Amino acid sequence: MGAIFEERREEKDKDMTEALQNLFRLLFWILIFPGFLFTACFGLIASWIVRKVSALVQWRVGPPFFQPFYDVIKLMGKETLIPQEAQRTVFMGAPLVGLAGVLLLSTMLWRITIDQTAFVGDIIVAIYLMTLPSLALIFGSSASASPHAAVGTGREMKLVMSYELPLVLAFIVVIIKTGGQLSLAAIAQQTPALSISGMLAFLITLLCIQAKLGFVPFDIAEAETELGSGVLMEYSGALLAVWKVTQAMMLVALPLFLVMVFLGGFGTSLWTGLLTGVGKYVLIVVLLILIKNTNPRVRIDQAMKFFWFYCGIALAVAIILALVGNTYGIGWL
Amino acid sequence: MNQEELNNKLAEIKDKLIDIEQKANNRIYLLCEAENSYAVNKFLFEDVPLRFVITTGIDSDDCFEILYHYAYDQTGCMVTLKAFIRDREKPAIESITPFLPAAEWIEREIHDTLGIDFKNHPNLRRLILADDWPEGVYPLRKEVKR
Amino acid sequence: MSWKIWSLKKSPWVFHVNTGACNNCDIEIVNLLTPKFDVERFGIKLVGSPRHADALLVTGVVTRQAAPRLQEVYRQTPKPCVVFCIGACACHTGIFRGAYHVVGPVDKIIKEIDPNAIIAYVPGCPPKPEAVISGVVKALSTL
Repeated sequence: MGAIFEERREEKDKDMTEALQNLFRLLFWILIFPGFLFTACFGLIASWIVRKVSALVQWRVGPPFFQPFYDVIKLMGKETLIPQEAQRTVFMGAPLVGLAGVLLLSTMLWRITIDQTAFVGDIIVAIYLMTLPSLALIFGSSASASPHAAVGTGREMKLVMSYELPLVLAFIVVIIKTGGQLSLAAIAQQTPALSISGMLAFLITLLCIQAKLGFVPFDIAEAETELGSGVLMEYSGALLAVWKVTQAMMLVALPLFLVMVFLGGFGTSLWTGLLTGVGKYVLIVVLLILIKNTNPRVRIDQAMKFFWFYCGIALAVAIILALVGNTYGIGWL
Repeated sequence: MNQEELNNKLAEIKDKLIDIEQKANNRIYLLCEAENSYAVNKFLFEDVPLRFVITTGIDSDDCFEILYHYAYDQTGCMVTLKAFIRDREKPAIESITPFLPAAEWIEREIHDTLGIDFKNHPNLRRLILADDWPEGVYPLRKEVKR
Repeated sequence: MSWKIWSLKKSPWVFHVNTGACNNCDIEIVNLLTPKFDVERFGIKLVGSPRHADALLVTGVVTRQAAPRLQEVYRQTPKPCVVFCIGACACHTGIFRGAYHVVGPVDKIIKEIDPNAIIAYVPGCPPKPEAVISGVVKALSTL
């Protein structure tokens, strides 16, 4: 009788250690690699690349390599001022919600790339997580109790409504082209961008990503009342540092998402996969930088018309082409 | 019209003026009393017609002077109307804003700094002095010391 | 030197305040922030809100109307921060000394609310952008 209890206790101990090991592994994934530490560092390096390339395009030198890190460290060292009439909980909680959203998104995408562990419907989870930082921005700025932030909030809301529609339509094109599977690992095996409808969807998603990252020509919310700072007007110190890190991390997660959905992901073998994957990522970031540096900012009504009318019609055409291509087996449509 | 015709045209209103001085070929001063300034301004702006440039207020020793500057662009001639306000206790002059809306703010500024009352001005509020500047202190008057 | 001051020197974000200037100094500041002088090398960035700023570039002799507003902007700048008085008017009222609306140079107004404020002076009428860069770099290196 004692032996059975001993066995059961050993099993329970083994379960306990396994559960603890799982917990530690999960924390490692989320906090260190490929989670917070890795994505934040990678994102700050990517934002340095954006600033440096923009500087070179303008024939100047640009910031030193560690500049984004200095910015974040400096912001952590300043005092955090909260306006007296601001809604404190939302004001302080919104940046953290945004950070959590982009952190989970990045962890999930990198885990799928590295381990091919995916689940059905994860593309929907990814789309949902992608909207979290924008929503957090809207909530945080409307809790700011400032007229500048209020105007910025209104514009950001309109912008989010504008680009979500083409984004979802583009992903429908991809899902149709890859045979109707809702799993990112399966989609990442194919390159839907090598077809007319896929290329159309890719270009439009690129512009939607530009708007989501807050880059010109769609940086209507933040630098909008240039010399006014728009949505982030009342944030200072540590909270502003959280926003900056969130924006840097979006610069990692969103192009990676684009690479996985449209350009065929990182591939399976280790070194060639890594090289081609990073190459595709750099290609997308360079496209973003070039669009950013050669365009003026658009007005919010121009942006809405562009996303709903022009992109919507283009994507409707792309969906029809994709459906036709699928039913008749024509791959390049 | 060229300069000759301009001089002749200006002479039409000679009865309201004290004097016409031509300091240079393209610089004409018309001098009048404050009571006639409205009629002369209306003539200069509407009948000649000249382009209104700006108004100046001067604190001379025994009177206030309001100068109305007009430009005649065809010959590059500047015509200035000098209106003398003899009353130093309560200086007042008719505002030309009713027919010349561009003069609204400059007359507010002269009112703020020199204390001259512009009658029939539609909007004679404080313009350039600070919100907490005391009423009745007119900083550009000669007797106000810093 | 604490890490806060070290990181402040590496990445000073500036906010421009005009307290009644003739605009010459403001034009020079805007020139300074163009790609020709490339102040992004030093980490300097123009921000749109005093809450994001580390350095206030104040131009203009402080007029009576602008004085409480300048103090409000200074209070909204998170400490540690540096105030730069750009131009002769900001340093010591310049040619407007004794005029009826002048309540004092910038350091007098700032020291009313914060006697320990860090204030740096860049004289000139207007100072060339090179002079402003030199002033900013010199001031930051003495922190």
